[in-house]
Amino acid sequence: MLEMRDVSFDYGSGVPVLEHINVQIEEGEFIGLGGRNGCGKTTVTRLLMGLEKPAAGDIMYNGKVINHEEAAVRSHFMGYVFQRPERQMFRPTVQAEVAYGPQQLGMSRADADDAVREALESTDLTSLADAYPPNLNRGEKQRVAIASAIAMHTQYIILDEPTSGQDSADKQMLMELLTALNQKGMTILLITHDMDILAQYCKRVLVIGNHTKAFDGTPEELFTQREDLYGLGLSRPEAVTLSLAVPGMKYCCSMKEFTAEILTKLGGKSV
Amino acid sequence: MMKKFVPVTKLIGTFAFSFWALVLHTTLPLVILVLIELLLLAFCGSLGRNVKAVFSLVVFAAFLAVVQLLGGGSLESAYVTGLRMLAMTIVFIILLTTTRLQDLTAALVKQIKIPYEYAFMFTAALRFVPDFIAESQAVQEAQACRGLSTKGNVFKKMIHYMSVIQPLMLKSLGRSETMALSLELRGFGSSEHSFMSNVRPKGVDYAVIALLAGLSCLAVYMRLQGIV
Repeated sequence: MLEMRDVSFDYGSGVPVLEHINVQIEEGEFIGLGGRNGCGKTTVTRLLMGLEKPAAGDIMYNGKVINHEEAAVRSHFMGYVFQRPERQMFRPTVQAEVAYGPQQLGMSRADADDAVREALESTDLTSLADAYPPNLNRGEKQRVAIASAIAMHTQYIILDEPTSGQDSADKQMLMELLTALNQKGMTILLITHDMDILAQYCKRVLVIGNHTKAFDGTPEELFTQREDLYGLGLSRPEAVTLSLAVPGMKYCCSMKEFTAEILTKLGGKSV
Repeated sequence: MMKKFVPVTKLIGTFAFSFWALVLHTTLPLVILVLIELLLLAFCGSLGRNVKAVFSLVVFAAFLAVVQLLGGGSLESAYVTGLRMLAMTIVFIILLTTTRLQDLTAALVKQIKIPYEYAFMFTAALRFVPDFIAESQAVQEAQACRGLSTKGNVFKKMIHYMSVIQPLMLKSLGRSETMALSLELRGFGSSEHSFMSNVRPKGVDYAVIALLAGLSCLAVYMRLQGIV
């Protein structure tokens, strides 16, 4: 289990960025992290990854304080996919790029090859194994970055706005990939401004507001019970709004679900 | 205080300090020159923000002094080499932290009559430095998240740094290309240029320039007399 215990943080100026954050992340969770621009979402993930050190409080992994462990050490159990994944790409092929992490962990050649093959298969990149990473499109680069984390056999993966700037097909493909990885037991924590992703894919949502944790619960609780969504920099997804507007209809987290429900209600069939 | 002066005064000041650093050839006057520069930096309110940069320059100066010493130079010449380097670089920090780059470009073109393309190239290169450092930091973080350790001896660090340099270069090339396109799309290369800022020297600037010229003559005189 990964835990932030009473964590506060500032960038040295004394102006608080985060105050008294308490979060527990169990293995196998699929968490969305939301909030206004500049509210400290990325800082939360950077603290978890070890790219920043807390001003107060502890970051804990399986009960052990890991405040002073560098990102390179935490990378053994936690992967981080940056918003601009091309920043990490420097090898001539996708396969070699994905192999970098396992090699840093000191895996044998055979083990590294197996890890890379499995990671490429999981992310549907086998056909691009020999491609030059900088030539890939944004969605493919994101998948290479995810494959790089998977190949290191990490239990947790943190993604910073992985779907920004992607078309709907790439977005859906990426979210299905993350769902599949989560079903295999990987813990996913993703930062997003996309309300549909929070509603449809995440099992738990954390919202940062006023320098601290403003919400921690299910997407349904967030979108049906909170009155201050706009104040938190969020909005209600259209599917949720429509499902709440129809009397007697259950909460729908996606347009697909809403369409199916309304068709059932009207006695129609989906085509 | 320094912000009162126009860029050309600060440029002349920068060259004057560098000139004095070359004229002075004993340790004590060079130490005083470096201290004056640090005081100026503190007066400008920029010392706190540039402590790291100054520290890096001190380390580099010490390295140069050691090289001088190992190359057969005396202890005095080693000190002088390090202090000269320090004096000639700290003054550039003062210039860059107290002058907006667009004002510097305007001064280079209007007062010093450097062709606009060259002046722009100079200031654009300066503008790239903090961006390059920030990008380098971001790439290092990205690689640290994949297990790249920055610990170990110098050789290990150099090998590890290769995984930072390559994406950094690719990113910088891409950035340069985008910038070149953006400039072309906004009429770069035109023979007419106007500048938003007024960089014409005022009375106080002429007084400072005269003082700098006088001090430079005094420095040369003192050097010829063997005083400094």
